Amino acid sequence: MAEHVGIDLGTTLSGLAYLKPDGNPEIVPNADGERLTHSVVFFDSHEDVKLVGSAARDGGEPDRTIFQIKRYMDDPEHLVEIDGKKWTPAEISALILSKLKRDCSKICGDITEVVITVPANFNELARKSTIAAAQMAGMKVKRLVNEPTAAAVYYAHSQGVKGRILVFDLGGGTLDTTILDVEGENIKILTSEGARHLGGSNFDDLLLDAYAEQYKKQTGASLYSDERHRRRVLQATEDAKKMLSKLQRVNDTVANDQNSGIARIDLTRESFEKIIRNMLTRTVFLVEQALDSAKLKPSDIDHVVLVGGSTRIPKVKTILEKMFGKTPKSCGNVDECVALGAALFAKKSAKIQEVCNASYGTLAMVYNAKTKEEKLMNSIVIPKNTPIPCSRTQVYQTSEDNERVIEVDITQGEDEDAKFIDVIGRITLEVPPNRPKGCEIAVTFSYDENQRVRALVVDKQSGRSKEVAVSYKGAGVLSDEELKRRSAHLRTMRIE
Amino acid sequence: MFKILKSLSKSLGGGKTAEAKPQAAPAPKAGGTLLDKVNKGSKNAPAAQAGPPKSAEELCGITAKMAKDEIRAQLKILFRRYNRSASSLDAKTRAEADKMLDAIVEVREKHFGEI
Repeated sequence: MAEHVGIDLGTTLSGLAYLKPDGNPEIVPNADGERLTHSVVFFDSHEDVKLVGSAARDGGEPDRTIFQIKRYMDDPEHLVEIDGKKWTPAEISALILSKLKRDCSKICGDITEVVITVPANFNELARKSTIAAAQMAGMKVKRLVNEPTAAAVYYAHSQGVKGRILVFDLGGGTLDTTILDVEGENIKILTSEGARHLGGSNFDDLLLDAYAEQYKKQTGASLYSDERHRRRVLQATEDAKKMLSKLQRVNDTVANDQNSGIARIDLTRESFEKIIRNMLTRTVFLVEQALDSAKLKPSDIDHVVLVGGSTRIPKVKTILEKMFGKTPKSCGNVDECVALGAALFAKKSAKIQEVCNASYGTLAMVYNAKTKEEKLMNSIVIPKNTPIPCSRTQVYQTSEDNERVIEVDITQGEDEDAKFIDVIGRITLEVPPNRPKGCEIAVTFSYDENQRVRALVVDKQSGRSKEVAVSYKGAGVLSDEELKRRSAHLRTMRIE
Repeated sequence: MFKILKSLSKSLGGGKTAEAKPQAAPAPKAGGTLLDKVNKGSKNAPAAQAGPPKSAEELCGITAKMAKDEIRAQLKILFRRYNRSASSLDAKTRAEADKMLDAIVEVREKHFGEI
């Protein structure tokens, strides 16, 4: 049995690694001989089989092929309907995980417990969906770990460095930036910031728009009229993007499927960089945000580490080098280090000091004595990036005379403006009658090592209290029974 | 400055004008449809504003009198806010956030140069 296993369940590529007896992690190839598996699922219409990986990506019908399901892990309304059955993002992800488990078990032994990586800014529902996907695939999730943390663990292990590290993880679908301190085997996370929908596939989409524009200019026709052809051209743009990481110029030809002629695409690295400049500027903002969150300057960073396939784009390295005044380093294969780090994390998690992934608080009407203004605000009790475990208390006052029920909304998010945060739960506490407004209510949030949050509300006058585990239980979260049922069904499927 | 607990339902239903407002509101879902009601017409919702299209600087609240440091600080606040909104499950919120992120980049390039 493989004891310490890590899985990088990526937007475009997934990988599994295990810890060898010598303490070094190793990627386990799938049954197709590939070290990484494309996160693509194809539902065949002729045979009762689900293809996962490059076979699914290259040959399937678009209506039956599912790409980038990770982007929808927190969307309870995103259902994929195939042959009348509606699949949740967790179920589709479970097919990818099943392929990894089944294929890799043949090489490294039975896989029952795993560490799975997630983007640093994955919300509660996305994390729960990831755990559910693993359970449906027949694996217990020992821990979820943020992707850049896993990469940093691998970097520290393989390079033997110490000091302050900034991990810049630009993958297929997301950007994560994490700053951490490394001292021997001990790692202390200082901050993690993330951007969803900022990754290589966004660059491909922009390049596709440029191809379509060129095609229209040269032939007067549309480059694609259906999803099947759009996918083919998108594959061509991804290939061109990759070539431009090695070459200064790429010549390509494209045609639509309506015999409207061939267009010649002459693409330079410079023009590609111009096309994606807006996105790259957003990456700079995110790095600056991480530095601000940790109250650091670029000169405080000892090592900049590149993770994720999109960091192969030369401009990414140039930007970071200019910003930090030092050459960014990569730890081997930028696509594999997250899975490798997850396998290491499975064994070393006790030596890694993590932080709260988000701020937790409540809504409060805040009166400003100077301006006499009152405003409904997000009042943060535990700020993001507080080292965990931790516990913080904030005292509030009741707003009305004879208030019988105290309602405390639980918020997640950093913004003080209530419009820009999520309300993820509510605690209701009954209090004695006939009291004036202004009674003190203490709200305490506690955050443990497993990223579980508890909220405690105490009415200081009566001593009455209520404590709840803060967890998302809304739409999209399966019950234990439903999870078992779907898990049993999945085990009967043919997944290749 | 002092803080008074105020749940969303009480914000909507309580206070002196309670009679004119909806009665006890249902528990909010994650993502907060009630928040939309609370913040209807919020000054911070750029895409909800009517009238002629605004420039990137107007969208970001940048005025000619602002110093470079103030502009930089304002852009940082806005990026943090709209980067988070860009992950919203609500397509409209996502689209608004994307528009704002484009504006933030445009203002940065104008005042601080391209990357």
